[in-house]
Amino acid sequence: MKRNPTAFLKEDYDTLVRNKLDWKIRQLEGPSAPHCKIEGREMIMLCSNNYLNLSNHPKIIQGAIDAAKKYGAGSGSVRAIAGTMDLHMEVERKLAKFKGTEAALIYQTGFAANAGLIPQLVGEGPDGKRDIIISDELNHGSIIDGVRLAKCDRGVYKHGDMAELEKVLREADAKYRRILIITDGVFSMDGDIAPLDGIYKLAQEYGAMTYVDDAHGEGVMGPDGRGISAHFNLHGKIDVEMGTFSKAYGVVGGLVAGSRDLINFAYNKSRTWLLSGSHPPAVAGAQLAAIDVLDTEPQHVKNLWENTKYFKQQLKSIGFDTGNSVTPITPIMCGESAKAKALSDAIIKDGIFALPIIFPMVAKDKARIRTMMNAGLSRDDLDRALAVLEKNGKELGII
Amino acid sequence: MGGRAGLKGTDGVVEKAKALGAKPVSPHRAEETLNALALLCGGANKTRAEFLTCSGKMGAEELAAAGIAHEIVFDAPEETSAADTIAACKRFAKLGVDLIVFAGGDGTARDVWNAVGKSVPIFGIPSGVKMHSGIFGTTPEAVAKALHECIGGELSIGEAEIMDIDEEAYRRGEWKIRMFGTCLSLVEPMYVQQGKMLFEEQSDEQAKEDIAEHVCEEINLNKELLWILGPGGTLEAVGKRLGIDKTLLGVDAFAGGKQIGKDLNEKELLALLDNYKSNKARVVVSPIGAQGFIFGRGNLQISAQLIRRVGLENVVVVATPGKLAATPVLRVDTGNKKMDALFAKKGYMLAVIGYRALKLVKIDSMKL
Repeated sequence: MKRNPTAFLKEDYDTLVRNKLDWKIRQLEGPSAPHCKIEGREMIMLCSNNYLNLSNHPKIIQGAIDAAKKYGAGSGSVRAIAGTMDLHMEVERKLAKFKGTEAALIYQTGFAANAGLIPQLVGEGPDGKRDIIISDELNHGSIIDGVRLAKCDRGVYKHGDMAELEKVLREADAKYRRILIITDGVFSMDGDIAPLDGIYKLAQEYGAMTYVDDAHGEGVMGPDGRGISAHFNLHGKIDVEMGTFSKAYGVVGGLVAGSRDLINFAYNKSRTWLLSGSHPPAVAGAQLAAIDVLDTEPQHVKNLWENTKYFKQQLKSIGFDTGNSVTPITPIMCGESAKAKALSDAIIKDGIFALPIIFPMVAKDKARIRTMMNAGLSRDDLDRALAVLEKNGKELGII
Repeated sequence: MGGRAGLKGTDGVVEKAKALGAKPVSPHRAEETLNALALLCGGANKTRAEFLTCSGKMGAEELAAAGIAHEIVFDAPEETSAADTIAACKRFAKLGVDLIVFAGGDGTARDVWNAVGKSVPIFGIPSGVKMHSGIFGTTPEAVAKALHECIGGELSIGEAEIMDIDEEAYRRGEWKIRMFGTCLSLVEPMYVQQGKMLFEEQSDEQAKEDIAEHVCEEINLNKELLWILGPGGTLEAVGKRLGIDKTLLGVDAFAGGKQIGKDLNEKELLALLDNYKSNKARVVVSPIGAQGFIFGRGNLQISAQLIRRVGLENVVVVATPGKLAATPVLRVDTGNKKMDALFAKKGYMLAVIGYRALKLVKIDSMKL
């Protein structure tokens, strides 16, 4: 048949552009730092995940350089065949110790961890009895994709609603073989956190597995940034603690911390891990140094929270609605999409970089600017950002 | 307009209603809607839509009162009837309108649907006595908001049920609501998360396909069971996927890989269950109409007795996310207080909302 096999590429893209749903890629000219150069202009960065500014930490940069010099630029293979170096194992040992778990495992990215591990944890029994994943309705896209790859039923509970989670558990209890509860630790749109203590309690009661995606909580929540489990004093008790090195740790890579059994299982079953090349030595060296920095330099986490507290308080006193956030992710609620876009455009003109989050990512009347705090921002930087937000917020009638 | 006169609508009894002092509420409701729409658009001349209407009280007066420019394309007589509604809607459809908005209740909804079928989406301003059809906004303000969003391209077109009282049963003294068919109407678009923070619109049709895939897989996994499939568009999609001729309005049965009953009544269903080798069955139903009834509206064949025999745990509820967005509760009215109480006690059900996707939905014990 005569057909144009690639016509859809342009058609689909044009539709996204028409509906204003396409991503406008912005280019950083230089490092991701509290002060960035973006498309030729100096800006205060308020939307990176580099919470602790560790990507610019001299010890971590040095860790990458040293590892590259000693081990080379690449790792030569997937982890399972010939791509595991003593360096990779050292990262996993150190990480487990830092997280207070028996063992840990490094994935290529956080997405690879969710997409590779979740589908393996569930399936169906020899008698045809299925498993079920019960998931918070606001979980991250990588969880959703991991769940999609899983051969099981999936139930959803209202965001953070423990009464509803219990009802779903009660319904599922008799019908299913395994039950897996999955939640984000910190929710990236609102900056609120999962009631992990409640989830753990219910999981114990119903014999369910627990899985926390703590991408935005690693290096941020809990003592010394040990994560959401440590925040709830549950380290070592959550079955799967998943996180990432790409945000507060300042490097890249997914991580899973849990029991030795879990890691042995994942080593052998998790396809994204088995079938992608392992991290280059420079990445592993930087990861190792990042764990060391978190363990020995508590000031970064402390600065992050002091900045967060100050910024939130000031935003509120200016009159902004910051939603339910209890973390360094602070949404500035704007109402309808057009207002959020206008505010973002205006502050970018004034040298503050933060982007709008609009429908359908959030509800129609809940459009917002999402800000993410950085430990490397000074009080002066924050005051400048606040002044710009206040001026433009007033002009646009948001406050 | 019959409500205040104690009538169940005015189908065929308009004169009686007027004699009892009933006054039409539709014009007032229509005006309220149009005024609210003008307000939302920032002025009666800023609606960004073209309005075609009928002369006099059938639309032109209400639009004029709200100050909205319009074109009269149908001449209505002084005293109007259902025949005029049908003729006017046929004219609208012929002119290629994008949406027909009417003020009325289930009776008017049926007239409009009879005129245009599924060729034009229809949307109702609630001003009747019976409003079981799934095409009414809850208030004139809600209708205005939906119209505003529709003009702005923010709403999708989805399927909804046309429901009304069963007149034959009513003449026998029974109050039965039945389903007459499905039409197109306005629905909230549903977005599904595609990857990291990227969403894509999912149509109601796609959701039905996904639900059908799930149900068919269950049917194949449980071949020893008798499957009783209720009415409605979602179950019709299941039938299509099974490759059978599923009736839209009736209750059908499937077992051992084939259709073994079509448009069955209560007696036939009970007999089928009695004679079925395992005596085990599952009943698949979807919420029907505007109020979310899974039993008691349009599927009275699935009686309390049948549900008891099958067992509550073997009732499977399927519903598209779009439907649950409009009516986030399930209601039960089996005509048997004990059975209704069992559902009320259960409090909620895990409804199938997509392929392998379940959502907890509240069972509202309140009767409507």
